[in-house]
Amino acid sequence: MIRHESINIPFNYAAGQAGSAVLLALRDEGRILAARCTACDRVSAPARAFCPACGSGHVEYVEVGPGGELLAWTERPGKGMFGLVKLDGASSAVLHRLLCSPEEAVVGRRFEARFATERRGHILDIEGFIPEQGE
Amino acid sequence: MNERISITIEMAQSWGYASGAAMERFSAGLRERRIEALKCSGCGRRYLPPRPFCGNCHLELDDWVAVADEGSLEAWTVVNLPMLDGRTGEMREAPYGMGLIRLDGADTTLNHYLDVADPEHLAIGLRVQAVWRDELRGAMDDILHFRVLTEGP
Amino acid sequence: MTEVAVIGSGQTDHGRKRDDVSQPELVRQAVALALADAAIEPERLDAVVISNMELFEGRALPELWLGEGAYAARKPCLKVATGGTSGTSSCIAGYHQVASGLFDVVLVVGFEKHSEGHTQTGMALTDPFWDRAVAAGALGNFALSISQYMAERGVTQEQAARVAVKARRNAARNPHAHLQMPDITVEEVLASKLLAHPVHLLDMCPQSDGAAAIVLAGGQTARRLCPRPAWIKAAETRHEQPFIGDIDRRLASMRTLREAARSTYAKAGIADPLRDLDVAEIYEPVSYAELAWYEALGFCADGEAGRLIDEGVTEMDGTLPVNPSGGVLSANPVGASGVIRVAEAAKQVLGRAGEHQVAGVETALATGYGVYAWADALVLGATP
Repeated sequence: MIRHESINIPFNYAAGQAGSAVLLALRDEGRILAARCTACDRVSAPARAFCPACGSGHVEYVEVGPGGELLAWTERPGKGMFGLVKLDGASSAVLHRLLCSPEEAVVGRRFEARFATERRGHILDIEGFIPEQGE
Repeated sequence: MNERISITIEMAQSWGYASGAAMERFSAGLRERRIEALKCSGCGRRYLPPRPFCGNCHLELDDWVAVADEGSLEAWTVVNLPMLDGRTGEMREAPYGMGLIRLDGADTTLNHYLDVADPEHLAIGLRVQAVWRDELRGAMDDILHFRVLTEGP
Repeated sequence: MTEVAVIGSGQTDHGRKRDDVSQPELVRQAVALALADAAIEPERLDAVVISNMELFEGRALPELWLGEGAYAARKPCLKVATGGTSGTSSCIAGYHQVASGLFDVVLVVGFEKHSEGHTQTGMALTDPFWDRAVAAGALGNFALSISQYMAERGVTQEQAARVAVKARRNAARNPHAHLQMPDITVEEVLASKLLAHPVHLLDMCPQSDGAAAIVLAGGQTARRLCPRPAWIKAAETRHEQPFIGDIDRRLASMRTLREAARSTYAKAGIADPLRDLDVAEIYEPVSYAELAWYEALGFCADGEAGRLIDEGVTEMDGTLPVNPSGGVLSANPVGASGVIRVAEAAKQVLGRAGEHQVAGVETALATGYGVYAWADALVLGATP
């Protein structure tokens, strides 16, 4: 006998200082903000409050991208293309959708963010990454 | 000070829990309006709901005993606060009565709804009886609630 | 076994809605304060223990997200999730780590963001076959048990209200508390909304956002870093059976708390708690629970709890002040609440409790409570 049960609970997460800065920059300026650690110089995109390398809370916001290098990619049948993109100026890669075909996804190729026309302060204000235009 | 952004995400997940042998037998009984408990061969405690082990003795439980669908109210309350039901994402309205019921033949108490939601008419010691749903699925909530029968002993 | 002491603590200002910070930022606030209080740098931490419940935050692996706030990356880090006892059990896990001699300095941090989810709802999602279809939530479950406790031990609504008054008046001298009500009266408590018979709104703990952290250190390090460490003399934790009906007369019997207390008292040399303890920070989610804990902890005989509160024995100027911080009744960020009990007990021994410091504390008790009857007990003292 199998008992079927569901869980349906809404959650409302505060983005906080760093998160709000990122989402506001996406919504209002179409820019991607990262955090540069003043202790060890590592640049984390999107920006977050604490350096993942050294834990310092002393970070400065810097713009990164909108272009960068594709480090890895995959396709999930029925769900689309995903990739890790190292944005210009960042120390680490961002996981996001790739808006291209598998043939166009080549490791090392330059990709750039495509922003949504209607933005609301959400990570999907970046619709996904497309092969850099004019390459 | 920056505008404060919050993101809303609905957790919506489903699971299929395998019931195990004890629950299967118990569920079969419920479909026939029959309630049974498991008696521990070590401490003699008669457990409801069923579970595979006695938490006190750590012995496996396999001795089924009959339990009446009637018992006495050992604790009660009337809840006035609506609560979000995590199974559906909808509010469970209030007020509603709840009790801890010791069914005749069991040693544990059963946590269940009462058909009375007025503190003036609830007391420890009242006799209560299970009210069954019309459609029985072999689930614990085949019992809709417990009906208060008489004044206590 | 290595001697273990609390050498510092930190807490956020607990409140209804901290939407100015994300979960990791909230954790970092408490952690930064704790490290400063302990006078150590983050590099000195050998391990981190995190107290939080997955379902309450609605996120798989909350410790992954907020680990950076706790300097946990690349360190041994584990999460302890045991309902309301998460905080005290986490402190005990950290204590075991240092006592083993395998770790010298351990950070324990607990947090909760009630405002972001529905903790009551999450807590009702226990056994899928029985509990979920007939859930009354923590509030309803307490109210059920309270009806039995009142019938058996004879406590009154007024006596419970006195506990609620003591808590919020004490909280007025605790800058971190969520509810501070210096002028609250018994009449106000009894006139407040009846949530679930007989529990009134002001009998109940608030739902708080907040974080709290402590730093534990082994004997030599503790003595070097801290002028007067708060030594953990004994710590015990006890689990329970899974259904509310499995436990006879839950509040009156409280076998887990009685056993945990008896065991810690024996190890710590406490013969008469009322005399041998100088202060207690106990985990009381509802006013009636504190009365039940007086009996379970041996502060008085069964049936005498009402007399204790009536005679002011547990007030700030009484024989044994209970919850100078205002307790869980004044601040309940669930994942942090147990850590707050240990931090507040430690502060009393360390002499760092500010306006709610009890004079001359040598020995302090901290307890945790969770789910239907899980219990933790810790005794802290000026000597190991």
